[in-house]
Amino acid sequence: MAYEGLDFYDVESLLSEEEVMIRDMVRDWVEDEVLPKIEHACREGIFPDEWRVALGEMGVLGAPLKGYGCPGLSYMAYGLICQELERGDSGLRSFASVQGSLAMYPIWEFGNEEQKEKYLPKMASGEWVGCFGLTEPDYGSNPGDMITKAEDMGDHYLLNGAKMWITNGTIADVAIVWAKLDGVIKGFIVEKDDEGFSAPEMTGKHSLKASVTSELVFQDCKIPKDRMLPDVKGLKGPFSCLNNARYGISWGAIGAAQACFHSAKEYALSRIQFDHPIASYQLVQNKLAWMLREITKAQLLAYHLGLKKDDSTWFAEQISLAKMNNVDMALEIARMARDIHGANGILDEYCIMRHMANLESVKTYEGTHDIHNLIIGKYITGIQAFTRKLD
Amino acid sequence: MLMNGVPVGGLSHPLEWMVKTMPDIAVLIKRVPDTIAKIIVVDGTIDLSGVKWIISPYDEYAIESALQHREATGGSVTAITLGNADCDKTLKDAKALGCDELVRLWQDGWESLDSNGVQSILAGAISDLGSEIVYCGKAAADTNAGSTGPGVAEKLGWASISNVVSVSFEEGGVEALVPVAGGQAKVGINFPCLLTIDKGPNEPRRPNVRGIMMARKAEVNLKGGQAPAATISVISKSTPPAKPPGKTYHGAENVPAVVQALRDEANVI
Repeated sequence: MAYEGLDFYDVESLLSEEEVMIRDMVRDWVEDEVLPKIEHACREGIFPDEWRVALGEMGVLGAPLKGYGCPGLSYMAYGLICQELERGDSGLRSFASVQGSLAMYPIWEFGNEEQKEKYLPKMASGEWVGCFGLTEPDYGSNPGDMITKAEDMGDHYLLNGAKMWITNGTIADVAIVWAKLDGVIKGFIVEKDDEGFSAPEMTGKHSLKASVTSELVFQDCKIPKDRMLPDVKGLKGPFSCLNNARYGISWGAIGAAQACFHSAKEYALSRIQFDHPIASYQLVQNKLAWMLREITKAQLLAYHLGLKKDDSTWFAEQISLAKMNNVDMALEIARMARDIHGANGILDEYCIMRHMANLESVKTYEGTHDIHNLIIGKYITGIQAFTRKLD
Repeated sequence: MLMNGVPVGGLSHPLEWMVKTMPDIAVLIKRVPDTIAKIIVVDGTIDLSGVKWIISPYDEYAIESALQHREATGGSVTAITLGNADCDKTLKDAKALGCDELVRLWQDGWESLDSNGVQSILAGAISDLGSEIVYCGKAAADTNAGSTGPGVAEKLGWASISNVVSVSFEEGGVEALVPVAGGQAKVGINFPCLLTIDKGPNEPRRPNVRGIMMARKAEVNLKGGQAPAATISVISKSTPPAKPPGKTYHGAENVPAVVQALRDEANVI
């Protein structure tokens, strides 16, 4: 049966006509162009380039940014876009999140006029792909201790170090790289052909298989002086990008959960055991009711956070809660949906196992589940529990 | 007189030839339930509450032809629909695809028009707009009647071509490709004319964010008109007969019987 998003509390009635049209545009595209191809893309371990082109043509990249060829949509619309993309696949939503929130946003927020004019229109159209280099092999949750450094060589900067787990890295034209200059974290724009820069793809993933994940390697990488983001220093830069991306993830997770719920419902209604559809048994209904309950709560949480993003009354801990809760919810729903599908749930005929494997990554990236708990723990107690001295 | 395809002499304005070659294009669209929507019948009446509404799919092909026409020759595309205020969303969907102007035809008393009434109202509006060519889907997805296009052309006294799969755009007319027995025919037609569009090689375009932003600001031009008295009346409505129950076979010994049924009764192998 055709997909209809679960909307138990009629959240749609709270959206503007424009937001519904944008959601439906992306939903229809995912239905027609992504879902028929996603399993093949996962098996091959590729991100189809035609999806980059289509996202640019639809005009959804960098959704909430204004000017410089960017769409200038509401954060609510951006959330809905993420939701629909992730109903297709977390890898597809990751592409859009990284492009918009992690690569375009820092240029838009912290770049100078020349940098904005040069990069943003081509990134909004999808012509140029961006990536975001913060995490390092030995520094994930504590990026403040990063090793990658920049040196001022007079007429240029010299970058040395390595980044890891970088979505879009190998296919990127532009990398936003965070490195320490005289001990202070600064943002640099690295272009793919810069001397001393390489971005080998990481292989062997069981998750986000339709997404490109890479290392970024800088060996005496020379970049011109005009490629440093002038208006930011310290962790505020990367964290402000991550806030936007995490907001999008909180919506995206709902899309993945919706896909699993829809499949589980259809399967339960059609699978006959002991002469009756398994949907008629109380244990299965209990699972479906739990899924509906959790999706509905996640929708209301994301919707309200969207309102707060749009009127700028949000704070970072609210985003942590939404990202943590909604991804956790989606992962549990994927596991429960696999259970309802029985052995069929492990086949790629169904979306379940793919979403489940993807969500294991989503639970960890952009602030792990536990780190978000610590952020909220600090909010409650006023005591940071990220680090301590051990004897 | 033409020079390099451009008329010369006798023009009051140097760009007049351009103006004359840029046609006013109209496209007729209809709001229908999504073709994959589950239709529920309650007490003999179709319950459409909760159904998603879309532009009738063949009308999407008509919009695509109209937009390609404008892109080839210039001009403007006016999307026209007949219906209540719910149809504004349908028109805005057309605007998001690239249509220039939106016209909705409606007034009290038009709730149960017959085909003759619909065609008369549409023909009157097209006349008032001064359109030179009209595109519409070959049939609407709800009634599947296919009568609106030819009926409107008849009332306007225009030539029309039905079931067009491809159009090429000429000055003062178009060439249309239509299926005929054993192949396809290319038919030339001069303005004013009406084409009903079938599914063809040109897939309808998708909206984009820019189009949706334009649609948000777009104004729908509401017009009334004259409708003739209904010439038909619905005597009764009934639901389709229930499907007979399927046959069930158990055990490997029934394989020949299943194969025979698939071949001789279902005609699928």
